[in-house]
Amino acid sequence: MIQIIHLRHKCIGCNACIESAPNQWVMSKKDGKSYLRKSREKGKYFIVEAEDWEYDENSEAQKNCPVNIITVKKL
Amino acid sequence: MTKVEVMAPVGSFESLQAAIQAGADSVYFGIEQLNMRARSSINFTLDDLREIKTRCMAHGIKTYLTLNTVLYDHDINLMKSIIDAAKEADVDAIIAMDQAAIMYAREVGLTVHLSTQINITNVEALKFYAHFADVAVLSRELTLKQVKTIVDEVEKQQVKGPNGELMRIEVFVHGALCMAVSGKCYLSLHTHNSSANRGACKQNCRRTYEVKDDQGKELVIDNEYIMSPKDLCTVNFLDKIIETGISVMKIEGRSKGPDYVYATVAAYAKARDAALTGKFTPELGNELMEDLDKVFNRGFWGGYFLGKELGEWTDSDGSKAKRRREFVGNGVKYFPKIGIGEFRLRTGKLAKGDKIMITGPTTGIFEMEVGEMRVDDQVVESVGANVSFSMATPQKVRASDKIFKIIELIEIAES
Repeated sequence: MIQIIHLRHKCIGCNACIESAPNQWVMSKKDGKSYLRKSREKGKYFIVEAEDWEYDENSEAQKNCPVNIITVKKL
Repeated sequence: MTKVEVMAPVGSFESLQAAIQAGADSVYFGIEQLNMRARSSINFTLDDLREIKTRCMAHGIKTYLTLNTVLYDHDINLMKSIIDAAKEADVDAIIAMDQAAIMYAREVGLTVHLSTQINITNVEALKFYAHFADVAVLSRELTLKQVKTIVDEVEKQQVKGPNGELMRIEVFVHGALCMAVSGKCYLSLHTHNSSANRGACKQNCRRTYEVKDDQGKELVIDNEYIMSPKDLCTVNFLDKIIETGISVMKIEGRSKGPDYVYATVAAYAKARDAALTGKFTPELGNELMEDLDKVFNRGFWGGYFLGKELGEWTDSDGSKAKRRREFVGNGVKYFPKIGIGEFRLRTGKLAKGDKIMITGPTTGIFEMEVGEMRVDDQVVESVGANVSFSMATPQKVRASDKIFKIIELIEIAES
């Protein structure tokens, strides 16, 4: 399993994470920030667990995020 | 001559209060992420709009909302909700770049100002945008003569905005300069996937660089900050700027602190008043420049106004200000009848005679010298970290206030 964490309020809506990992990320039409699918809200963070095979794509999203608000951890 | 507006950058309520106290005629600010300081400043949220408008209205200050990034299709809803909220809060204008934002603001009946991102350099471009906008900031890369030509042509050709009046021309008079053409830079996107045009500039230009050839031989360069321009400062020739006939003097710096906002607005308002009454002198210009040198700057140059090429590079990575501020503590409460404030020191040391600056979202900014301090009703000469103390203050202080110790850097160099 992996865990993906998103500090959502800092998002500038550049779309990079969605390009890298479209399974996990989607753009909110409401506020123009990306949303981590099926995530739970914990304070300012949005968190979700995913399968190991999704690690590479989401690591790329982490790497490409211009404001460094994505963390991907192996559990 | 009509009054020339001083427009202040505000990125927080502290800076907003500072702008009000220093006598700004208008303020500009960003909401949420669609502005050129999406990364660096603590942007206001939609809920803050009304509060900003209320505070400004009480002082007759105009409010301009910046919405000037590149917009994607997924941003359109947010763009519209920001503009709708601005309309509802009765914000005076939207500063926009993208045609989608310009068009929608007009649709709902909001005044449009052209952003520096449009980079207006000639009167024909103004005639095109006059269908939508009443005010335009000119490119930072123009000379005084070019600015004057545009202002004169607006009058001569009667270039009028949607409000039926001649377009008002704005220029940047102070603040950071970009090594590219007014922010249209792709360095940050290239190296960090972080677009300056989405307000996420990583400021590559502000770093030092080594220059090597393909054999690995390093070139000796006298300044490793090869592309970090000094900051624009025009206060010493502001009379010349005002003579061009511009209507608005814009100050850069939405991510800077209240001390910067206060000092810049106060200096330019004073220079403007002197210039408009024929009392501007080079001495006054130099005196005001000394005041500006106390707050964040990378060294000053007069920009492109005087026709010089960009060759004025800074030689430091951050501010060259003559003094800096150090956070030491915060306010706790205030006893209005006796004019005493209670504070808590969080770090460092504070002694009688120290110069301090108190800033807060409601307080704004003021400076004072530390007088008599008391701890548990006993007079003390100094206090250390995690100690609560009280002292008299010239104005009300609040729990949301922060205390900064002012450190004069010249003193450090001498001691």
